[in-house]
Amino acid sequence: MSPPENPSPAAPAEPSQPPPPAAAATGKGKKKDEKKDDDLSEEDLALKEQLELYVVRAQDADPGVQKLALESMRQEIRSATSSMTSVPKPLKFLRPHFGTLKSYFETMPESELKKYMADILSVLALTMSIEGERESLKYRLLGSEGDIGSWGHEYVRNLAGEIAQEFQKRQDDDLPIDALMELVQQIISFHMKHNAEPEAVDLLMEVEDLDLLVEHVDATNYKRACLYLCSSSNFLPPPDDSLALDIAYTIYLKFGDLASALRIALKLEKSLQYVKQVYTATDDLLLKKQFSYLIARHGLVMEIDDEIAADDNDKEVLQEIVNNTKLSEGYSTLARDIEVMEPKSPEDIYKVHLIDGRGASSSLDSARQNLAATFVNAFVNAGFGQDKLMTAPSDSSSSGSSGNWLFKNKEHGKASAAASLGMILLWDTDSGLAQLDKYLHSNDTHVVAGALLGIGIVTCGVKSDCDPAFAILMEYIGKDDSNIRIGAILGLGIAYAGSQKEELKMHLSAVLGDSQSPLEVLVFSAIALGLVFVGSCNEEIAQSIIFALMERSEAELAEPIIRLLPVALGLLYLGKQDSVEATAEVSKTFDEKIGKYCDVTLMSLAYAGTGNVLKVQKLLGICSQHLEKGETHQGPAVLGIALIAMAEELGAEMAVRSLERLLQYGEQNIRRAVPLALGILCISNPKVNVMDTLSRLSHDADADVSMAAIISLGLIGAGTNNARIAGMLHNLSSYYYKEAAHLFCVRIAQGLVHLGKGLLTLSPYHSDRFLLSPMALGGLVTVLHACLDMKSTILGKYHYILYIIVLAMQPRMLLTVDEDLKPLSVPVRVGQAVDVVGQAGRPKTITGFQTHSTPVLLAAGERAELATEKYIPLTPVLEGFVILKKNPEYHEE
Amino acid sequence: MPTGELLSPLLLLLLLSRPGLSISSAAVLISSPTSPPVLGRIGVSVKWQKEVFPGIEIDTSQPPIVFKSQLYTLTGVPPERQKIMVKGGILKDDADWSTLGVKDGQKLMMIGTADEIVKAPEKGPVFVEDLPEEEQVVALGHSAGLYNLGNTCYMNSTLQCLHSVPELKSALLSYPDTVRGNGIDQASHNLTLATRNTFGDLDQSVRPVAPLQFLQTLRKKYPQFAQQHNNVYMQQDAEECWTQLVYTLSQTLTSDSSESAVLPMKQLFGIDLVSRVHCAESGEESTETESVYSLKCHISQDVNHLHEGIKHGLKTELEKASPTLGRTAVYTRESRINELPRYLTVQFVRFFWKRESNQKAKILRKVDYPLELDVYEFCSDELKQKLQAPRQMLRDAENAKFGLKAHGKASSSKENEESSSSAGESSSMDIDKAESYLPKKQLTGVYDLVAVLTHKGRSADSGHYVGWVKQDDGKWIEFDDDNPNIRKEEDILKLSGGGDWHMAYICLYKARMAESKS
Repeated sequence: MSPPENPSPAAPAEPSQPPPPAAAATGKGKKKDEKKDDDLSEEDLALKEQLELYVVRAQDADPGVQKLALESMRQEIRSATSSMTSVPKPLKFLRPHFGTLKSYFETMPESELKKYMADILSVLALTMSIEGERESLKYRLLGSEGDIGSWGHEYVRNLAGEIAQEFQKRQDDDLPIDALMELVQQIISFHMKHNAEPEAVDLLMEVEDLDLLVEHVDATNYKRACLYLCSSSNFLPPPDDSLALDIAYTIYLKFGDLASALRIALKLEKSLQYVKQVYTATDDLLLKKQFSYLIARHGLVMEIDDEIAADDNDKEVLQEIVNNTKLSEGYSTLARDIEVMEPKSPEDIYKVHLIDGRGASSSLDSARQNLAATFVNAFVNAGFGQDKLMTAPSDSSSSGSSGNWLFKNKEHGKASAAASLGMILLWDTDSGLAQLDKYLHSNDTHVVAGALLGIGIVTCGVKSDCDPAFAILMEYIGKDDSNIRIGAILGLGIAYAGSQKEELKMHLSAVLGDSQSPLEVLVFSAIALGLVFVGSCNEEIAQSIIFALMERSEAELAEPIIRLLPVALGLLYLGKQDSVEATAEVSKTFDEKIGKYCDVTLMSLAYAGTGNVLKVQKLLGICSQHLEKGETHQGPAVLGIALIAMAEELGAEMAVRSLERLLQYGEQNIRRAVPLALGILCISNPKVNVMDTLSRLSHDADADVSMAAIISLGLIGAGTNNARIAGMLHNLSSYYYKEAAHLFCVRIAQGLVHLGKGLLTLSPYHSDRFLLSPMALGGLVTVLHACLDMKSTILGKYHYILYIIVLAMQPRMLLTVDEDLKPLSVPVRVGQAVDVVGQAGRPKTITGFQTHSTPVLLAAGERAELATEKYIPLTPVLEGFVILKKNPEYHEE
Repeated sequence: MPTGELLSPLLLLLLLSRPGLSISSAAVLISSPTSPPVLGRIGVSVKWQKEVFPGIEIDTSQPPIVFKSQLYTLTGVPPERQKIMVKGGILKDDADWSTLGVKDGQKLMMIGTADEIVKAPEKGPVFVEDLPEEEQVVALGHSAGLYNLGNTCYMNSTLQCLHSVPELKSALLSYPDTVRGNGIDQASHNLTLATRNTFGDLDQSVRPVAPLQFLQTLRKKYPQFAQQHNNVYMQQDAEECWTQLVYTLSQTLTSDSSESAVLPMKQLFGIDLVSRVHCAESGEESTETESVYSLKCHISQDVNHLHEGIKHGLKTELEKASPTLGRTAVYTRESRINELPRYLTVQFVRFFWKRESNQKAKILRKVDYPLELDVYEFCSDELKQKLQAPRQMLRDAENAKFGLKAHGKASSSKENEESSSSAGESSSMDIDKAESYLPKKQLTGVYDLVAVLTHKGRSADSGHYVGWVKQDDGKWIEFDDDNPNIRKEEDILKLSGGGDWHMAYICLYKARMAESKS
C-alpha cells in the first residue's frame, strides 16, 4: 500500500502536497517544474532522489527496511543542519513529503520505529509546520527523547518557542505540563552549554520556572546569565522582575560572587535581610569592608551586629565604613589629587568681567544676588571645608569674615547663609558641628534656624553612634519661633533621610497632629518624615499626613506650599508600586483642590524608577486632557513620566521624545513642568539633544518655562563643569541681567554645574547605573516639586528647600584603597561603557578609554577597569571606594 | 542640695587650677561635704572636634556640671556652651547619671566652641530691594523707558535723547506752573510743563513711564502730530518733533535775570551762523546772520563722513533775483559758525521728498560719524580766534593726562610730546595777550557724542525710531520704547547706515569744555 495514492483521512489533502497540483498544472507549470529540477546540480539531484527513496521506504511494510530508511534520513538531516544561512537541503527536498510521512505516521503502530519517525517529523516540522500548529513540539513529545542538541541550534530554538506557546495554552486549559518541563530541562542544559544563556533565561521566564536556572549554570556562564537576568528585570512586570533578581542573587551566592550578590540584595525588597545573608556568607573581613563601602554609598542604614562580625574591633571598623565617616576623607583625597582644594568664590563662577559693561555696576548689595551667591558658594565648595565667604578667616578687618557675609543676607536669606556652612563642610561632622555651634547662640532667629539646617546638612548620609544631630536638633523642634522649628525639622529630615528612625516618627508625627502648628511647620514636618521614612510604606505616618491634609481649611489648601504634603506622602511609597494603592484610594476622597494633585503625585512617586510603561502611558493620558481652570495636577504628571522612565536608558530616551511632543502640543502648565522633567531624566548627564532643547526653552516667552529650563540646565550639568552649559548660562546671565528672578535661577544653575568644583554628581543611580538610592531620589523629587511653583518656593522665602538636593550629592569618583584602607594609586582605564548584555564570550566592556591613575573621576556613562594585573578589586563594579587585594599570581616582569 | 550645683564654673576652675591637683581629685574634694550613697566612677573618653580625650573619669554622684567643668579645663569650652551627646539627647546640667546609662569605656562626644558668638554688625547692609523706587533707579544705572502709545516711538526717542541733557532738565525744573511773561501761549506753556513732568517721571521710576500728558499737549500744540490714517495715529518724523519741541522750549524757557544758573535754550542748543552770499556772475556779496538749532548734514554721492556732510550743508547754492543783473542769478551761500552751543545737534538729511512716489524717501547711504567731533574748521575766523585759547588748555590738560599715563614709556614718544607741547606754547603766548579775562569754563569746539536718534525703515513716516543715550559711566543705553538695553560703544558706531539696521538720524554732541587753571 502506498500512501501517495491513498491519502489517509487523518491528514487531509495538504495544500503543499505537490504531486496532484503538479499533475493538474498546465504545460507551462510543468515546464517551470522541470526547469526547477534542471537548476539542481547533479549532486543535489542525487540527494533528492535518495531522499525520495527513503520516504518511500520509510513507509515500507518491513520494519527493517523502515528502520534503515529512517536511519539514513536522519543521517542526512543531521549532517546538513550545520548551515545556518539557508534551509538545509534535505529539509528542502523532504518538504513535499512531509504530509505523506505525517499521514503515514498516524497509521503506524506504537513502536520504537514510530518514535523514530516522530523524531524525524519533529525536525521536518521545523520548516514545514504551519505557523501556530506547534507540530515540532508535538512530534518531539511523541518521539524518542534522544539528545536534543543533535539536531542543531535552530531546532532547539524553534522548539523553545513552541514550548512557550504550548505552555501558555496548557496553563489556560489547566493541562499537565510535566512532559513539557522535562523537555525544558533538556533545552536549558543544552543552551547553557552552548553560550546561549539569554535563550535559556527567556525560555525559563516563559515557562515561569526560573529556579531551574540555578541548577544549570556553572562557573563559566553564571556571570552572563546573571547579567542577562538583571538587565531583563528592568523590562519585566512585577513580580517577575524581583523574581529574576532573586534568581540572579541565588546564583551569585552559589558561585561565591558575593559582591555581585550584594548589589542585587540592595535592589531587592527587604534588602536588609539579603544583605545580612551576604555578609554571613563569608569570613573575609576585607570583603566585608568592601560590602560596607557599597552599603554606605547606597545609603542603607544598617547596624553591624554580632552575626555580621563577631569581633568587636571588626564590628567597629565595619560600622564606621557603613556610617560613611570616611567619605569626607576620601573626597578630600580626590580633591587634593585633582588639585582643586583652592576655594572658589561665586565671582570665579560668574566671570562677570567677561561680560562687557553689565557687571554689578552698583555699589549696593542686592539681597537676592547675595542669596544667589550664598548658594553658588555652597554648591561650588561643597564638601571642601573651605570657601571665600563663610569660612574665610575673619582676621582681615574688611569684608570676608563669615559674620560679615552672613549679615549681607536679608532675613530668611541669613538662614540659607548659615546653612551654607553645613554644605561647605559636608560630611565632615567633626569640624562642621564645631563651626556651626557658634551660630546656635546667635540672637537672630534666622541664623539659628540656618545653623540647625546646616547641622542636618553636615551629617547628611554620615551616621554617628553619638547621634549629635539628633541630640542637638531635638532641642529646638518645640521652640516657638517657626523659622527655628523649620530649621530643626528640615535638618532632621536631611540628616536622617532613609534611616527610618523610630524616635523621629514619634516627635514629627506629634508636630503633624498638632492643630496649633503653623502650616509651614506642618509641611516641613511632613517632608522630613517623608525623607526619613522614604520608601518605607509606613502606614502610621501615611495616616498622620492624610489627616493633616484633611484638616486643612480651604484657605490653607490654596497655599502654594501645600503641594509638598502630597509629595511627603508619596515619598513614603517611593518606588514601592502597588503598596501605594490603599493610600491612593484614600487620597481620592480629598478636597478636589488637592485630590487629583495628590493622586497623580502618589502614583508618579510610587512608580518612580520602575520603568513601568503602562504608568507612563497613563500619565501621558492625563497630560492630554484639557484642564479646567485652576487645576495643577498635570505638572506632577509630567514629572512623573520622567521619574518612572528614568529607570533605564531606552525608556529615558523614549520619554525625552514624549516630552518633546508635550512641549509642542501641551498647555502652559504642562510646558512649565517639561524642562524639569528633562532635568531629572538626564540629571548630571548633559546629553547634547536635551541641552539644546533646554537652551531653546531658556529663552521662552513664558517666564516659568524659561526659569525651569535654566534650573534644569543646571541639573543636567550638575557637577560636570560642562563648558557648553557653563557658556550658555554665562550668556543667559547677561541676557537676563535685568530680571532678578531669572538671574537668580541662572546663578543657582551655575552653582549646580560647578557643584563641588565638578567632583560631585546628583544622579541617584550608582553601581553601573544598576542601583537607585531612594534617599537621593527622594531629595531630588522634593526639590523638583518645589520648583513646579518657583515663585512661592525658591524665589520666595523657602529657598532653603534647595539644600535638600544634598541628599543626592555624591562624589563621582573611583578611589582605590589598599588592604589597610589607605588610598592606593593604580592605573585604571576609564572609557565609555559598552552594553555587553547577551553577548557571548568576554567582550570589551569599555570603549575609547584613557588610562589614568586613581583616584579618578567617572562621568555619566563611563566605566573603569583596572589596567594592572598586580591587584584584584574586591568588587566587580569600580566606583566609589574599591579595596584592592594583591594578586598572588602576579609576577613582576 | 549638692554643692556642685551651686558652684559656678569659675569657682571650679579656680579649684581645678590649683597646682598639683588632678581633675578627679578636685571632684572628690568638692563632693566630700555631701556624702554620696554610692561612689560610682566611670571612665569615658570624650571626642571633641577631631581630638579624643581618653580616660576621663565621671563621678556619677555629682551632677553633670562637674563633668562639664572637667571638660572646660581640657577644651576651654565654657560649660554652658558644651553639648555632650548621651543617649536620647544632650546631657542636661541637672540630669542624673544613673538614668543615662553611660557605661565604662564609652565614647562620648562633645560639641561646642569657645569661639566668639557671631553678632550682627551694628549697621546692616542696605539692599537694593529695600530702597524706594527713585533710589533703585540709581542702582539700576539708567532711567526708565517710555511706553509706546501707538506709533509714538518718534516722540519717545526724542524725549529720551533730550532727557540726557542735564542742563535742560534743570532749566525745566525751575519752570513755574503758571504762565510767565506775555509772549507765551497756553499750549506752549502746557507742553513745557508736560515735558518737565515727563522728565521728572523718568527720573523717579524704575518701571516704564507712559507719557500720556506730553503726547496730548504735543498734539494740541502741533496738530500735525495728531494726523490719523485709518483711525490710527500715524508715525511721524522724529526730526520734526525734535525741532518743534526745542523751538517751543526755547520760547518758554527764556532765562530770567534772577535765575542765572539756568542757561537759556539759545545757549544750550542754538547755533549762530554767519553766511556770506556771493554771486559769481555779478560779484555781489552780502552777509547774513541767522540762528539755528541744528546743523544739517547733507548726504550726496561723495559724502562718506559727517564732516563732509556738514561742510556740504553749510555751502548752498541758491537762485535769486540779482538787483545788479536784473534777473535771477546763482548765488553761493557759505555759512560759518559764529557761536557754538553747549549741545550741538546734527541732523542727517536722510529724507527727501520724492515726487514720483509722493512720500519722503530715505537715503540709506552709510555716513560715518565720530564719537568726538571737532567743528573748528566750520567756525568763522572770529570764533576761531576765541576758541584758540580754550583749545590749547584742553590740549594741555589732555596731554598732561596722557603724559601721566605714558610715564616711563619709550623716550621717542616723549620727545614727540615735548615738541608738540612746545609748539603749543608758542601759539598760546600770542593768545594770552589777546584775551585778558577767562571765564571758568569755555567752549572749545570739540564735542563728544552723547545721544543718537536712529531710524529703521524706509520712510520717515514709517519704521521705528530709537534713542541711544550715553550714561555717566560711559555705558550706552538703547531706549527702545519701554525696553532699555545696555549697549557697547562699538554698537553705537554701527548705526551709521548703509543697510537695513537702525541708522543715525540726529546726533547730539556735548561740548567738551576747557577749564582754566586759575
